[in-house]
Amino acid sequence: MKTKFINEPENVTSELLEGYVLCYPDKVKLGGENIILRANPKDEGKVAIVTLGGSGHEPALSGFVGEGMLDCSVVGDVFAAPGAQRLFQALQLMKREAGILLVVLNHSGDVMSANMACQLAERAGIRVRQLVTHDDISAGIGAPADDRRGLAGCIPLYKVIGAAAEEGKSLDELIEIGERFNKQIATLAVATGKCTHPQNNALISDLPPGIMEIGMGQHGEGGGGQKPLVSADETAVEMVDLLCRQLQPKSGDKMMLIINGTGATTQMEHNIIFRKAYKELEARGMKVAAGRIQEILTVQEQAGFQMIMAILDDDHIDYLNNRKADAPYWTTIGK
Amino acid sequence: MELLTIDLFKAMLRQALEEIKKREDEFSRLDAVIGDGDHGTAIVTALSAAVKAAEKQTEFKALLNDMGFGVMLETSGSTSTLLGAFFLGMSDSASGIALDAAGVKAMFAGGLANVAKQTQARIGDKTMMDALIPAVEAMQASASADVRELFEAAATAAMQGAAQTINMKANYGRARNYGERSIGYADSGASSWCCMINAFAECIIN
Repeated sequence: MKTKFINEPENVTSELLEGYVLCYPDKVKLGGENIILRANPKDEGKVAIVTLGGSGHEPALSGFVGEGMLDCSVVGDVFAAPGAQRLFQALQLMKREAGILLVVLNHSGDVMSANMACQLAERAGIRVRQLVTHDDISAGIGAPADDRRGLAGCIPLYKVIGAAAEEGKSLDELIEIGERFNKQIATLAVATGKCTHPQNNALISDLPPGIMEIGMGQHGEGGGGQKPLVSADETAVEMVDLLCRQLQPKSGDKMMLIINGTGATTQMEHNIIFRKAYKELEARGMKVAAGRIQEILTVQEQAGFQMIMAILDDDHIDYLNNRKADAPYWTTIGK
Repeated sequence: MELLTIDLFKAMLRQALEEIKKREDEFSRLDAVIGDGDHGTAIVTALSAAVKAAEKQTEFKALLNDMGFGVMLETSGSTSTLLGAFFLGMSDSASGIALDAAGVKAMFAGGLANVAKQTQARIGDKTMMDALIPAVEAMQASASADVRELFEAAATAAMQGAAQTINMKANYGRARNYGERSIGYADSGASSWCCMINAFAECIIN
């Protein structure tokens, strides 16, 4: 049974990207098959920020291509990494002396494509370095970084390093700023209900009614245990507690708090969750210095959300709050 | 035999592809025990891309470079990442139209070194490294100036290494989650890489 407003399933990715660039022609354009570029490219003397990932997570990742964030997003098919060939093509387009910083979410397909494309790029004289994100904590508190997936925490990272790159920071400096942010960020997802793959209708997650699962991955991969759905406040407190166990913030620390809706949960619910998470952090002595409630990375019609938390250094706060960003799905009025 | 010529090396590659094609289903079945069951298809696709890319070049460095690019640009997945890295690493350490024993040793050592950068797996983790590492080490340990003997030593060591994976518990990647269930079956990657190295040796001996 059809449940989605699509045309031919194999055209989903190209058609969604076409619609996107038609809507925001002053900000983004296609630079090749499934490659999204800024409409007004950044000065060549500055480091380019590139990322890659499958489609089906709109507005991620291409929604954040724009001034002060990403220079290029390389898109795979639904939930699938783009191949090394397309990524290598994008790296050739972005080639510059200042170098390219490639942000890779820790999923095996993305990591492999990135490793292959970077090997080829180095041989072609392209200066590129990788920054791998692994903000998911569902593998367990203190689990090795390699075992942790990259979730929506990549998006505030784009904001931080995108602003730093606009400022003229070198590739080495950007790696330092980004890795420091990576160490201090954690994300936890909660899901309920079911969601389907748009191309083959396969259930990518299927939780019984009234059940939630904390620790759900980006493609319905299970992580934590299933249990009965509890109130917004109870859910928020449990998730804040787990994230704080990972990050170990101290009283007085300045925090980032983002609630990312994954598709079917309402903005109303996100606001209610944010309220309690904010109050819980303040009750623990922390100060929320940067907040956001938005669908930044969805998983089709998955009900649930991701809570993203970070301990912020002063430069991170400045890059997040005070520097201009002008991407279709993230705008910051700033310098 | 004192020199490995480029024409002989191309013949070795073609023979490796033939042998791997014959055992494609077996490699996929082994992979299905602890993986997604596509290793046979993956290694055939990857090596086919390499062999195709090897046709034009007449010099080792460019030939191996084209093979590495061919694998990585035309195919995807972990099998291609590792095989492509192997050829690119070999390219870094080889040049000319014929290699003596020292040249062959350096070429394979370069290949292994680049693969080792792509994976953290080492001997005992039940991966293709259980075939590749002993093969390259046996080659390095040989004092022979006969390139045939280098490949014989490598093939013998690869076969022993691949056989040992039967009793190993998977310790790397997704397969690790299968724990004890992985014991009793050879690793698909160790088996296919062993098949490739063995085919190199059979080709050069005949």
